[in-house]
Amino acid sequence: MMKISQIIKELDLELISGEKGLDNETNGVYSGDLLSVVMASAKEKQIWLTVQTHINIVAIASLIDISAILIVEGMEVEEDTIEKSNELGIPIIRTNKTTYEISIELYKLGIN
Amino acid sequence: MKELSLHILDIIQNSISGKATNIEIDIVENPKDNIFQISIKDNGIGIKKSILKDVLNPFVTTRNTRNVGLGLSLFKSTAERSNGKLILKSKENIGTEVYVEMEYDNIDRPPLGSIEDTLIAIMSGEGDRINIKYRHNVSGKVFAFDAAKIKNIIQDVDIESPEVIMWLRGYIKENIRNLYLI
Repeated sequence: MMKISQIIKELDLELISGEKGLDNETNGVYSGDLLSVVMASAKEKQIWLTVQTHINIVAIASLIDISAILIVEGMEVEEDTIEKSNELGIPIIRTNKTTYEISIELYKLGIN
Repeated sequence: MKELSLHILDIIQNSISGKATNIEIDIVENPKDNIFQISIKDNGIGIKKSILKDVLNPFVTTRNTRNVGLGLSLFKSTAERSNGKLILKSKENIGTEVYVEMEYDNIDRPPLGSIEDTLIAIMSGEGDRINIKYRHNVSGKVFAFDAAKIKNIIQDVDIESPEVIMWLRGYIKENIRNLYLI
C-alpha cells in the first residue's frame, strides 16, 4: 500500500483537486476510457488512468471507491469535475505522459 | 472524440466542403424522457445515392472518391455506444441531414462540451458565406440563434470581424448557460 501523496511526490505528478483524499492508499492501477467498461472492471483502492475529464469520472470513482484519478496526456479538466472531486475528496492528479509511460513508472514504484 | 460539440464541428465541416450556405443545428436535451438529440441539416450538394451507404463505413473509399472523412463513422459509433443511432439522409443538390439520438443518462454519452466554440470556429472562418441557425432545447427551455438576423442588424460590419465574433461568443455562451439554470 502506498499513499497518493507519496506517489505524487515520487513521480512528480500535478495535483489538480481533491486534496482531502491525499492520504488514500493504493495497491493497484486500472486504465480505461470507456466509462461503462471502467465501471464494470475497475476495483476499489486502485488508481484510475484515463483521458476522460468530465464530471462522470468522479461519480464512477466514488461508486467504486477509487483512490485517485490520474489524468494522462495533460488533458484539461472541467471546472465542475474539479468541484465535485474537492467535495468528495477524491484526488485528481495529472501527468503529461501517456498511459503506457506512466504505467511503467507506477510499476517501477512497486505498484502492481 | 471527447465532446459531442467536436463531432458537430466535424459534421459542419463536411457541410462546408459540400458547398452548403445554410446550416441548421438543432439540439434537444430531454432528461425526463432520457433522450439527447442532435440534428445538423444543410443545403449543400448532398451525397450521391450510390455512395450514401459507403460514407458510414470507415473502410470504404478515400478522400479521392468522397469529400467526407471519418467524422460520420465516429459520430455513429459514439451514438451506438450510447445506446442510440445515427441516421443519414441526403439528396443530391438538395442537402444532407445528420440525425443522432442517444440516451441522455447513458454513462458513455460524451458531454456536449463547448458548443459555443464550435459555432464560433465556423462563423469566424466562414461566417460571411454561411448562415448558421442554431436551436437548443433543454427540458423545454429554448435558445435560438440565427446568424442571418445578426447580419441584418450589424449591416455593414463584417460578421467575421473580431469585435463581432467576441461579442457573439459571449452572447451564445451566456444564453446556453441560462438553459441549464432551474
